[in-house]
Amino acid sequence: MKYDVVIVGAGPAGTVTGRYAAESGAKVLIIDRRQEVGVPVLCGEGVSRKIDDWGMLEGRRWIAGSMDGARIYSPDGTMVKLSADMAGNETGYVIYRDIFDQELAYQAIKAGAKIMLDTTALSLLKKDDKIKGVKANQFGQDFEIEADIVVGADGVESRIGLWGGIETTLKPKDLETCAQYTLSNIDCKDAYCDFYLGKDIAPGGYVWVFPKGKDIANVGIGILSSLSEAGMAKKLLDKFIDNNPRLKNGEPLRFLAGAVPVANPIESVRDNLILVGDAARQVDPITGGGITCCLEGGKIAGETIGMAVESQKFDKETLSAYEVGWKEAFGKKLRRNYLVKETVLDFDDKTFNMLADSLKDYKFEELSTFGLVKALVTKHPTLLMKLRPLMKISSEVKE
Amino acid sequence: MGKPKAIVDEKICLACGGCISVCPQDAMFMNGGKAFVKKDDCISCAICIRTCPVGAISGEVY
Repeated sequence: MKYDVVIVGAGPAGTVTGRYAAESGAKVLIIDRRQEVGVPVLCGEGVSRKIDDWGMLEGRRWIAGSMDGARIYSPDGTMVKLSADMAGNETGYVIYRDIFDQELAYQAIKAGAKIMLDTTALSLLKKDDKIKGVKANQFGQDFEIEADIVVGADGVESRIGLWGGIETTLKPKDLETCAQYTLSNIDCKDAYCDFYLGKDIAPGGYVWVFPKGKDIANVGIGILSSLSEAGMAKKLLDKFIDNNPRLKNGEPLRFLAGAVPVANPIESVRDNLILVGDAARQVDPITGGGITCCLEGGKIAGETIGMAVESQKFDKETLSAYEVGWKEAFGKKLRRNYLVKETVLDFDDKTFNMLADSLKDYKFEELSTFGLVKALVTKHPTLLMKLRPLMKISSEVKE
Repeated sequence: MGKPKAIVDEKICLACGGCISVCPQDAMFMNGGKAFVKKDDCISCAICIRTCPVGAISGEVY
């Protein structure tokens, strides 16, 4: 069977790419090694309300709760409250990722894409050094899938990129290693996503509490791999829960481990090859959120594929429309946030405490850069030194 | 006796893929929802061991 495009991975990046490629007239096959789309969930399940703007999802079944904002706790417990508008990414909705992913897959299917589950990509299919599809295995049977374009939507550990000659190996300082419980029997009446910072809490990352109901929440941790030891993420999460009066009586409905790239954007296009989603490092390096990138980037990828199929040109130059498109749309922001991540990683607990103390009464609704800086340094003038690199970043890199 | 090589305890592994994405030698792969090590390619750097969020990877001398 010959397709215009074979997409490896039926997560949001893969299925949104598939949908828009199919809508543009391409013959699309999506394969996934899992038995069920969206399962197991590997996600904190917090997403920005920005996803409403694209209108890619029908109904509301995928929403567990709408959030009023975010609360950030510094190491000494000082809280800074942000409204949903101000909190930016990853705090608009808490979602059911399995339903969310299945909804997006369904949209791809309705557009004409085919999906094969339980199907693992084994290698790239090549002829005369040119990519011609993938070799795959389903139910113990090896077979070939021919396609003009291969899309690697195969997540943080992308093999497709590696096989296609793109350097996808992550440095430990560019990976968050994560663990999460869905805890029931806890108090989360407030519709706020909570973030806890501190080097003893989560070195190079944070602990999150994302409510999925009044007494149920995703409670998770991400720590930087370069600061981690074997099993540290789970150990620190267990410690946090045991010491937190609100959480310690909780009982788990689910436990998961995860890995999130917090890296600079990489090259995402080669002859006959495209990378999308986590595979292309389309994740905000500060928050670790990637869903909005998947949707926005997937649409650009799908439309680029449609254009390539129409002109029957599949070389790197033609497919670069996608690379240029997504780097313009959100790649610049990711690059800037990577610089911010690098700077903030050097902050000690004392700096976070000073920051929180300066901002705890700040009215974010009246946000202006001048007002913010004034609020920060009035109480703690030494912050000026710490924040100088960040101001440099924001003045040099415009969105 | 050689250096210890990484080995994954299948009973603990939750298939998050973290180890695979940081392995500098492409010496790890996923199969049937568990991570595995290609022993001959492992260079004993222990990055995967430190990365594993649940402590499923350890070193073993062969």
